[in-house]
Amino acid sequence: MSFEEQILMELKAEITARAERRRRTGRRLFTGAAVAGLAAAAAIAVPLLTGSERSAYAVTKNGDGTINVKLNEFRDADKLEQDLKRMGVTADITYLKPRKTCRGDRGEIVGGGSPEEWKGSASEKAVRLLPGGGMDIDPRYVGDGQTLVMAFTENEDQTSEKPRVLWQFAGYVVNGQVKPCVIADDPTWDDVDGPGRPPAGS
Amino acid sequence: MRRKQAGIATDHVAFEAFYRRHVDAVTRFLARRIDDPHTVADLVAEVFMAVLDSAHTYRAGLGTEIAWLYGVARNTLSAERRRVFKESRLTSRVSGRRPLDTDDVARLEERIDAEGPAREVFKAMADLPEGERAVLELVVIDQLTVTEAAMALGIRSGTAKVRLHRARRTLRGLPLVMEGTPG
Repeated sequence: MSFEEQILMELKAEITARAERRRRTGRRLFTGAAVAGLAAAAAIAVPLLTGSERSAYAVTKNGDGTINVKLNEFRDADKLEQDLKRMGVTADITYLKPRKTCRGDRGEIVGGGSPEEWKGSASEKAVRLLPGGGMDIDPRYVGDGQTLVMAFTENEDQTSEKPRVLWQFAGYVVNGQVKPCVIADDPTWDDVDGPGRPPAGS
Repeated sequence: MRRKQAGIATDHVAFEAFYRRHVDAVTRFLARRIDDPHTVADLVAEVFMAVLDSAHTYRAGLGTEIAWLYGVARNTLSAERRRVFKESRLTSRVSGRRPLDTDDVARLEERIDAEGPAREVFKAMADLPEGERAVLELVVIDQLTVTEAAMALGIRSGTAKVRLHRARRTLRGLPLVMEGTPG
């Protein structure tokens, strides 16, 4: 086979691999030591609009140096990571299907030892959720060699009139390497007030 | 058109057509700049890999496919040069080369030889300011129009014309420098 054909084959394999990665991105998981994960989990009711031409998110810099991220759709996690990187924040973003969570730990979580340690930690301060589907990220709390790990879980019920939680959020700062995560069912999904509620403790 | 272009990054058939349409031009583009068959072959792969990354940046209204592709190829090449420069200070690059059979090497060497005069002109251009050299290179050596060269470099057409004019004035002693398509 000529080198041109060889290269074409490799590139086609790459196209397939990328399609596969994109498919999986939506399921890439987050985890965390139980305490930190739970302490960080917060729930917020937002209408998720899904216009097809709309970009998945918007990133802007606030006057005080924090970064505002507005999420429109749970896709393009990789692109959002790149945009945040450009603005000085190393982030690991995961969009999860409903009822899913992740087994094992993602690394050494700042403030992850106990609820007391969590209070006032960089993990707690790095992200502030805003009503309406956005958040402010404070780069000052994500240092060199640290990663802001964020996971969003979609609720399958996006339409009912019940008091709604459309997605859940968990965010924390990890020291050093962030480990990939193993998909697992989230046993706490139904714990508080039925489906779609945030896990106990949040 | 923009949709169609973006499709090459995800659609095997569209990508293959694009690849076959341009693989020869890209190989020659690289052979004009590099005289090692293995590096040329590696970089052909790199350029088309970069195409997968940047297919969404193509705007049909702004110029031809080939101008856009040469822009991608230039960026790939300068990234490679930075990398080689960094690595040469640390370790010599021996492993990880694409295996080429003798036919491949022979065909690549033919192209590299055929582009020899172009590489000579590159040497003559070496002292020009980077911006001027880039325009001259694309117009004279790669046979793009000035408008296409501007697109490949992400600059305005007027800027490209000014730079081309200056570069030609500096190098008016070299016959090849006055060639290239107008526009």
